[in-house]
Amino acid sequence: MSNPFTLNGGACLAMAGKDCVAIACDLRLGQQALTLSNNFPKVFNYGDVFLGLTGLATDVQTMHSLFRYKVNLYRLREEREIEPETMANLVSSTLYERRFGPYFVSPVVAGINQRTGKPFICGFDSIGCIDFAKDFIVSGTASDQLFGVAEGLWEPDLEPEDLFETVSQTLLNSLDRDALAGWGAHVYIITKDKVTKRLLKSRQD
Amino acid sequence: MRFQGILISNLQLCHATRLQARQAKLASSTFTNRNPLLTKNSSHLTINLHTPTSTDLTMDVLLGIRGKDFVLIATSKAFLHGITVVKHTDDKTRALNDHTLLAFSGEAGDTIQFAEFIQANTQLYTMRHSSDLPVSSVASFVRTELASSLRSRHPYTVNMLIGGYDVKKEQPELYWLDYLASSAEIPYAAHGYAQYYCLSILDAHYKKGMGVDEVVGLMKDCYEELKRRMPIDFKGLLVKVVDKDGIRELEGF
Amino acid sequence: MASQYMLPHVQQPPSFHSTASQPRQHQWSPYTENGGVILGIAGKDYVIIAGDTRSSEGYSINTRTARKIFDVGSGIVLGVVGMSADGEELARKVARRIDDYKRNHDKHITVNAAAVMLSRILYAKRFFPYYCQPLLGGLDEDGVGAIYTYDYVGSFEREASRAFGAAASLITPFLDNQINLKNQFVPGTNGDEPRKPGDLPMDRVEKIVKDAFTSAVERHIEVGDGLQLVRVTRPPPREAMEDEEEVDEREKTAGGGVLTEVMSELKKD
Repeated sequence: MSNPFTLNGGACLAMAGKDCVAIACDLRLGQQALTLSNNFPKVFNYGDVFLGLTGLATDVQTMHSLFRYKVNLYRLREEREIEPETMANLVSSTLYERRFGPYFVSPVVAGINQRTGKPFICGFDSIGCIDFAKDFIVSGTASDQLFGVAEGLWEPDLEPEDLFETVSQTLLNSLDRDALAGWGAHVYIITKDKVTKRLLKSRQD
Repeated sequence: MRFQGILISNLQLCHATRLQARQAKLASSTFTNRNPLLTKNSSHLTINLHTPTSTDLTMDVLLGIRGKDFVLIATSKAFLHGITVVKHTDDKTRALNDHTLLAFSGEAGDTIQFAEFIQANTQLYTMRHSSDLPVSSVASFVRTELASSLRSRHPYTVNMLIGGYDVKKEQPELYWLDYLASSAEIPYAAHGYAQYYCLSILDAHYKKGMGVDEVVGLMKDCYEELKRRMPIDFKGLLVKVVDKDGIRELEGF
Repeated sequence: MASQYMLPHVQQPPSFHSTASQPRQHQWSPYTENGGVILGIAGKDYVIIAGDTRSSEGYSINTRTARKIFDVGSGIVLGVVGMSADGEELARKVARRIDDYKRNHDKHITVNAAAVMLSRILYAKRFFPYYCQPLLGGLDEDGVGAIYTYDYVGSFEREASRAFGAAASLITPFLDNQINLKNQFVPGTNGDEPRKPGDLPMDRVEKIVKDAFTSAVERHIEVGDGLQLVRVTRPPPREAMEDEEEVDEREKTAGGGVLTEVMSELKKD
């Protein structure tokens, strides 16, 4: 009834491929079973790095503006864009600052290290414990479904177009089995020098 | 400058009243000066998103519909205290500036206190900058204030709709905010029980780019449904339009 | 170790301050959850029901070799997941009733009749239900694969594919996608023409089943150890069976379902 992680609903997924990464989210904002908006994206970008946030919607918004602020300051101070690994540590320490009164979010970081060209994805719990993964990261109310489908569909070294198909199929089929997530999706395919954003149509129920 | 001086003191007054109210509340409450959202339960923390007076299932009606170049906002005229109607000419809205209207419901005391705090600050902005804060920025400001209040010792429990007309972008905007400070810009919005009665009507009949008459018709459909299905008499709706010419009240509800 | 399965005579540990005059609360919990997952897929002329062979209680593994799929006779299989004691009892009861049917009517029960019968068996215990989710499979009178799925108290439905149990939430969307071809479109139609499901060859379905279980093992602690896969297929045509014994064997089964069971390992890392 009053679990903050499932109050508003939502799902997010990141996958690594060959010299590319993908991150995707659904668009639903709800209050329990009632859908309020079908245009509530949960993936944001700060320079070259992408951050997906699921959980309590207010904290999703608060974290988004907090990280926009922090990454802007980082850019001014360092005179360069933040790398995904650095972002991961920034997210982790920011969340752990609130160890005993956490933000109710499950973040996902995805990006390509601009110096080394290596794909990077990772996930977190709500107090900042980092989960480094070689394959994929899931979060949100559809995480069980996402785990099952991603584990079945993902394979190593996918090219960008194949990664897009894998991410999209994983997300859409998982969303269709979760009443709290869905209503459209955003998918980002990130390579070293190009980002493609696609809007997916999905079931509107 | 003198003008500014007066208004700054106006803001301070506003802060002062807020503080007094806080202190009054603290004095009357028992010794649990902790954020009610976070309850320490032996070894682990749990969160209570539902305060005893449930704020998301209120009988207060807040409705908003965004039209072609205006926003329509309706609020119930009954001032409720439990199941008792204390007043039947209540206005649950505050004009924040010439083109922004805030409608609110929630815990009595918190609502007006928070709304007028926001009102004072947006007006202060207008005075200081000789121009209005656009609707999106007002919504962002309100969200930030409510979000920081959420994790304070005593959070405000206020649900809001912000309707306005962005003069620069020449477009209407409607924001939905709940007491947890989740915000979303949506074409039509409601709070409380009204959600369950009206959103389905709006889903079925709302179209992009509707004119005032059409939207008023839609609002009347919602009004009729509420009158038919709500267990209490909410004493009619106070309906206001926000467009490029400002805020005005509509008759006939 | 206190079992979750509390017997009525087992007393709660005495409270430090308790006295004889104070009321003492006893509780008895007749149910436990033994984990595991099963799935069933019905094809044009076959049925596949598969399950893992782990049986656990909390974080402890009771056995790595527990079968969840039972041959209940007359070419019908029953998969059960939930509380294994109730599941096994249900399978015994169904097998007995199917045997009774054969003896009373001198013919094999059809899958659809068995499906209704199972529903009645479950509803008969409406107020003390078997704590398990059953999945009944076989070939119907036309030789077409049939899977019947139930809830605890006997609501049932014939379906093309279904997963039950601990990792059902992981497997279900995967089956939607790979068996029912959900969210897939015919290439070149710009997402206008959905791919039509059906007629998947059995070897392809078996691969999908193995993939589904491998995924579930990877991400769910209650699933693992072994894979029990049971196929129900049509027997070879009568002319091909000259041997009397083979014809007898044929007569033993109903609408012509022949059961084969394959046991295999699931990944262990």
